This record gives sequence, structure tokens and C-alpha cells, in this order.
Amino acid sequence: MKISDFKWLFGRNSEFWPTNMKTGMWAWVGHRLTGIALVVYVFLHLSFISTASLGDGEASFDDLMATTSQPLFVLMDFVLVIVVIYHAVNGLRVVLFDMGVGIKRQKLVFWIAMAVAAVLVIGGMLAIWHLVFPEGVA
Amino acid sequence: MAEQKRIATSKVAGTWAWFFQRFSAVALIVLLGIHIYISHFSGVGEETGEEPLITFGEVSVRLDQLAYIVVDYLMLAMVLFHGLNGTRTVLFDFERFAKHQKAIDITLFVVGVATMIWGVVILFPFITSGG
Repeated sequence: MKISDFKWLFGRNSEFWPTNMKTGMWAWVGHRLTGIALVVYVFLHLSFISTASLGDGEASFDDLMATTSQPLFVLMDFVLVIVVIYHAVNGLRVVLFDMGVGIKRQKLVFWIAMAVAAVLVIGGMLAIWHLVFPEGVA
Repeated sequence: MAEQKRIATSKVAGTWAWFFQRFSAVALIVLLGIHIYISHFSGVGEETGEEPLITFGEVSVRLDQLAYIVVDYLMLAMVLFHGLNGTRTVLFDFERFAKHQKAIDITLFVVGVATMIWGVVILFPFITSGG
């Protein structure tokens, strides 16, 4: 696999070059990147749950859950929240377009979807922020 | 060149896969809402006091009830289909992978079935512990 193999994908004249991409294209690239991240996450999630089947199951599971409730892990959970919300909201937008709804105003629909996503992310932030900063933010 | 690749992809991916990707997408939004509510907003902390910890004990109590088991396994099946079929779509946008469609289909199917079995088995300790 040579770098030049990807010229059609990443070259200056390719449609993926950042300044060549339009709104819908960015949305599409974002959907794929978050999708791949979520596949990786699902396998991690199953690995964590499987600790209950290993060794001293109950204790191993509880130890791991105690570790993953540390602020740093909750902060990573917040990143997960953002990734999931983007993928879900943008995915619904794709479903709407597949049903023929809103295609003519696709750019507007994208920004409405992102506004909805932003509200959901803020909701998620309010729900878990006290776990990231248990002492409160000065 | 890239244009041709996208046309090739839409043929390769299939209408069946396209439909169930959408179906599982909507199902997952509902199931994920239930999953997050159950795991993080209902009853958590009743055993341990103020700490918002998920514990083996609490999960076991929930997984004593058939409804929770059904939700978890249904979600697992949906997420594996959606994730692996999505991976398939991404791979087929690369000419290098689109050439090996059959091998990739078989591999992803085997990975999906194996992971489903793995996912079903790892809940057994919670289900059989008697809450």
C-alpha cells in the first residue's frame, strides 16, 4: 500500500481535500469517522462486561466499574456522548432524505440537525459534569 | 474515478442491507435511550449510597427479569448488524476492498455471529447469580 494509492482520496484535487468539501460531504465524512469509532467502542464495551466472566467475576467487574467511574473516564464517556449524538442525529437526517423529506433544503436540514445535536450534548453535559469535576469547578 | 467507485458501491451494498441499516438505526436510537436510562438514571446507587457506580449486584437484580435480558440481547444483535454492515459499506468504497466482496461478506458475517455468541455468554454470570 503506497501513499500515492490514496491520491484519488486525499490529493489536493480530490473531492476529499478539505476546501473542496461541501456541507453534505463533511456530514458524510463525519458519519463514517464516528461510525468506525462506535464499532471500536462496542467491542471495548463487550470486553469490559466480560470481566464478570473471568477469574473472580463479581469482584473483577466491580473493580473495573469503580475505575471507569473516575473523572478521566467520565470525560471520555462525554466524548462518547458527543460521538453518539452526532451519529444518531445525522443518521436520522439521512433516513429523512431517503424517505424524500427535506432534500431540497438539505443544507438547512443539516444545520437544524446540528442545533438539535448541540442541545442534546448540552443536556448530556449537565447530566454528567458533576462526575467529571466532583469537587466543582472553581 | 471516484464517481465510478460510488456507483459501484451502491450496487454492491444491496437493497436488503440498505433497508435494515435504516431499520436498525431507528431501533438503536430507541434501544440506546432505554439502555442509558436503565443503566445510569434508574436505581443506580441504591446499593452503594451516593456513588453513581454500576455494580455486579445491581446489574444481576435487573437481569433477573426477562424484559431486561431481551432488551440487552436485542440491542446487541441490532448494534452488531448496524456496525458491521456499516463497516462493510465503508470498506466497499475502497476499490482495493470492493474487489474482495465475497471474502469480506463472509468474514464480517462470521465476526458478527461469533461476537453475538460472545455477547450472549458474557451476561450469563449476571443472569445466573440469582440477583
